[in-house]
Amino acid sequence: MVDAMKTQRWLRAIVGTLALGAIVFSATAVVVKEGQAVLITRFGRPLRAATQAGLHWKLPWPIDAETSLDMRRRVYETGQTEMLTRDKKNIIARTFVVWRIGDPLTFTQAIGNQSAAEGKLDGLMTNAAIGTLGGHDLSALVSTNPSDLQVDQIESELLASTAPMALRNYGVMVEQIRLERLALPEENVTAVFGQMRAERRQFAAKFDAEGLREASRIRSEADLEAARIRAKGAEEQARIVGESAAQVAKIYADAHRIDPDLYRFTRSLDSLDKLVTGSTSLILRTDSEPFSLLQSKEGK
Amino acid sequence: MRRQKSLSEIGRFMAPVSLLLDGAWQRMHWWVATMAVLYALSGITIVRSDEVAVILRWGQLVGETPALQQHGPGLLFAFPRPVDEILRVQVKRISEVPVTTLAAATSTMESGPVPQAPGEDDDEGPSGIRETLDPLTRGYALTGDENIVHVEMVARYRVRDPAEWAFYGPKAEDVLRAEVTAAMVRSLGEMGVDRVLSDGRKDLIATAARRAQAGLDTAHSGLELSSLELTRLSPPVALAADFDAVQSAFITAETSKKDAEAYAASAIPNVQAEADTLLQAARGTASNDLATAQGDAAAFQALDREYRANPVVVRERLYRDAVDRALSSASQIRWVPPPIGGSYHGMRITVGPSDTGTEPLGEGGSGGR
Repeated sequence: MVDAMKTQRWLRAIVGTLALGAIVFSATAVVVKEGQAVLITRFGRPLRAATQAGLHWKLPWPIDAETSLDMRRRVYETGQTEMLTRDKKNIIARTFVVWRIGDPLTFTQAIGNQSAAEGKLDGLMTNAAIGTLGGHDLSALVSTNPSDLQVDQIESELLASTAPMALRNYGVMVEQIRLERLALPEENVTAVFGQMRAERRQFAAKFDAEGLREASRIRSEADLEAARIRAKGAEEQARIVGESAAQVAKIYADAHRIDPDLYRFTRSLDSLDKLVTGSTSLILRTDSEPFSLLQSKEGK
Repeated sequence: MRRQKSLSEIGRFMAPVSLLLDGAWQRMHWWVATMAVLYALSGITIVRSDEVAVILRWGQLVGETPALQQHGPGLLFAFPRPVDEILRVQVKRISEVPVTTLAAATSTMESGPVPQAPGEDDDEGPSGIRETLDPLTRGYALTGDENIVHVEMVARYRVRDPAEWAFYGPKAEDVLRAEVTAAMVRSLGEMGVDRVLSDGRKDLIATAARRAQAGLDTAHSGLELSSLELTRLSPPVALAADFDAVQSAFITAETSKKDAEAYAASAIPNVQAEADTLLQAARGTASNDLATAQGDAAAFQALDREYRANPVVVRERLYRDAVDRALSSASQIRWVPPPIGGSYHGMRITVGPSDTGTEPLGEGGSGGR
């Protein structure tokens, strides 16, 4: 019984302390989450901003009050603005900004909320873009010649001309500015279309001509090569025939040299063979051989 | 005194409460103890296989470096709320954002198709398609040679740094759309339209993806662009026919070149083969001639040896053989008497085709005389 009384007293003390502690903690602790900042105001007057995530402290209500701010980065796309480049060309540009609250105190006092901040940013960015792009030719933005392009430079110029002012005046930290869109005013597009069309037609004509020229070049080269091969073949053939004729002549000459008389005789007989063919009519005298032999027999 | 009294007053006021607590404790102390233990263990979390978890202690990230902040799959021990808060992020899941800021119909970006004023149709082209583009309603980009192209893309991304993405980065889709658009506009702005529409496409995508990733890193988005796909890249509708014409001219040119190459490829070997055949024939003839000559020479030499031994006999034999051959191969043979007094006077001999060879001999003879 005494033990039970004791336990109960202890229990009461623990529960009471915990409850009191919880109440005090919730009234004075300020938990700042990652990606947030908490602005602590004393009687409505901004006191300090807790930007570091973790546990912070304040005096309980109604002395101090806390307002939390979203410190995440945000992307804001400006409107499309028509501007003039240095070489007097009208372009329509749009940029986007990655920004976050850089100074919670200034931000709260000067602007208060996101949409107001974006309104301010739009004005700043438009002015900066008009100023900066006015100092560059269009070829700094679009060009096939890499040495003309100055987009990095333009973007850092834009950043340099807006970021310090945005932070000082609005507590807005501009971290990145990039050109998101580059277009032409509607009335200029027609001219660009005309140019593009002319260029296309020129290309088509060029391809047509080149194709024909190239094809006929290949064909005539092939013909030339063929003629060369033919000529070489004919030359080789003539050489072979000539050499062979010379060899043959030499062989005959060598053979016949040993008895020209017999050669002449056999040649005459060969000629006779060649002379008398199936369509030949021979007219012979009866006193010539072999008829004469018969005659002489008869005559005996 | 006063304090004592107020205490006892509180005590009297609290009496029913403490009675209730006492009663509750007596009846349900096991329950309460169990609840307390469960609460104490409620911070333990299971991190799934495709997830990474980070712990916030009193709102602050636990761990100095990203590697220490991130906890992989498995059991994760943490204090219960409100001390610790665990955030689990699916880092392996790849999400997709269509980027249509530079597409011909940017209805998703702007306020939908803008109704055209009736008088606005006056600059229509030959094909009935408007010969201009309103930059506010029609997305497009300029190429390096100041041509206009429409681009539609799909960006795929995943979360690389969960803490940065969750707490510091801008909204994933916003930042992706903006960075990818900017990167594409810039990459297109340094290439000619013909490269873009033909073999430069891969380069274009690679450059744009690299730039977009650099932008995402600068913006502390904690995102990784895992792929950038061009779903459509086309010249303006009004110029489509002209671009097609160039394409077909190119193909025609290539075809006629190919034809010519095919002609060359077949013509040259044919000629070569022809020449080879002729040469081969010449060589054959040559070796034939040579063999014949050698045979003839050998025969002549053999004959000569015989001739030297018996000149008269051999000569006679050769002569007789030749005469026999001549007589047997001739189609007609006419015999005429020897001339009288050294000459023929007015003798006529008719020689016809071989079938007339059977004519009586006397006819010619009588005619002659």
